[in-house]
Amino acid sequence: MHYIEVEDLAFHYENEPVLDNISFEVNSGEFVMLTGENGAAKTTLLRNILGLLKPTKGNVQISKKNRWGTNLVVGYVPQQVASFNAGFPSTVLELVQSGRYPRGKWFKQLDKEDKEHVRRSLESVGMWDVRHKRVGELSGGQKQRISLARVFATDPDLFVLDEPTTGMDVKAREEFYKLLRHNSEAHGKGILMVTHDHDELKQYVDKHIELIRKEDSPWRCFSMDSCKEPSKHLSSSH
Amino acid sequence: MFFYGFMQRAFQASFLISLIAPILGLFLILRRQSLMADTLSHVSLAGVALGMLIGVDPTIMNLLVVMGVAILLEYLRIIYRTYSEISIAILMSGGMAVALVLMGLSNGGTTVSIDQFLFGSIVTISQQQIWMLLFLTITIVLLYIIFRKPMYILTFDEETAFTAGLPIKVMSILFNVLTGVTIAVIMPIVGALLVSAIIVLPAAISMRLSKSFTGVILIGILIAIFGMITGLMSSYQFGTPPGATVTLIFIAVFIVTLGYNHIKSKIQSNKR
Repeated sequence: MHYIEVEDLAFHYENEPVLDNISFEVNSGEFVMLTGENGAAKTTLLRNILGLLKPTKGNVQISKKNRWGTNLVVGYVPQQVASFNAGFPSTVLELVQSGRYPRGKWFKQLDKEDKEHVRRSLESVGMWDVRHKRVGELSGGQKQRISLARVFATDPDLFVLDEPTTGMDVKAREEFYKLLRHNSEAHGKGILMVTHDHDELKQYVDKHIELIRKEDSPWRCFSMDSCKEPSKHLSSSH
Repeated sequence: MFFYGFMQRAFQASFLISLIAPILGLFLILRRQSLMADTLSHVSLAGVALGMLIGVDPTIMNLLVVMGVAILLEYLRIIYRTYSEISIAILMSGGMAVALVLMGLSNGGTTVSIDQFLFGSIVTISQQQIWMLLFLTITIVLLYIIFRKPMYILTFDEETAFTAGLPIKVMSILFNVLTGVTIAVIMPIVGALLVSAIIVLPAAISMRLSKSFTGVILIGILIAIFGMITGLMSSYQFGTPPGATVTLIFIAVFIVTLGYNHIKSKIQSNKR
């Protein structure tokens, strides 16, 4: 089932083309990595997909329903969350709990299951111990992790992650990739992730989309040749 | 002083303003719109001046003009996303300029009343103003209780809120309109020049004292009650303007809080 469907997308900043001829899908249970050199408009592409920017040409569809027929939930982690609202008066726990809010009615208090989900999310990124700290007191890497914990707490059907491993060490990155792989394989989540760690990640993903500069354009305009199957793929062992 | 009717109304108004100021103030600060309150208070003056010039109830004209500009501000904030203070600068000076021109056109006959709106007059509060304020307080507190969670997400990050499916444009416009209405109602009491200080300062102080979002609101309400009531009493005692006295008390509390936090962090770093 297609969770994201991009068809012949082009995007111009004012009159300058930056993306052209982009077409791909992200399906339920599929882990897709999006790469490209610095300035290859990867974030711009994600923002087009999420509806934060309007494509100049082409279509982007995000499925309204998930594979079980209920409303599809999107979990988005933007780039550079380390710079987020540093003075925001909120504890780590409050922030991660807010990932559970859209699931219930606004009046509803979080129940035992919600709280358990929040605890597991914080533990999965190693941040349970700092749950009572103010978010502004955290380091850049820790902020990145609680943003991920918040997304895990949301339990989305579709993850859209923009360089989520910035500030993580090699071991933490590996654990994180395994966790995502498990989410796509065992729980049918769709994942679209922008990364520069192509070599590390390729063994975990199902599809690789690379944005490459168009030779025939006078602008810094990026396109894709085709979706590639990664050379090596670890299956259910994760 | 507690036996005078005008002082009783002043205390009632102070208490009601104390309940709503920290709620709006916190969201304004976190959405980086602290100056919006200032802008709307200047525009509010233009609304009053227009009402006086064309012979329409200044309160009603004020409400209409401020609500219109509050909506316009949201559009300008989207257009000038990177330099959102541009819209503030344009509308603040524009509001004041329109107010001054309209006052000039009414041949100086309204000078006394405009002074009252500029500097506020907490001791001439009418019973009608108290009812309006009570209605507004109930509305804002109820809306806060109902929409606290989506507003928390919107305030933390608009893009996250958008991808979570929240109607961020509608929410932002409604928040602006509510802020505008509050300013239009409070402005004649505390004065156009100080209304933003009274809305923003309690939340700014409590942000330094609490780690949690709800904590900031609750401590903000206590600080607002303390500042408003002591300010009002001091103003009565020393014959100083109430709005200015309250603002100075808030600034004093802000400085004490800064000192307290500084000493606390020094003690904590010494312990380590």
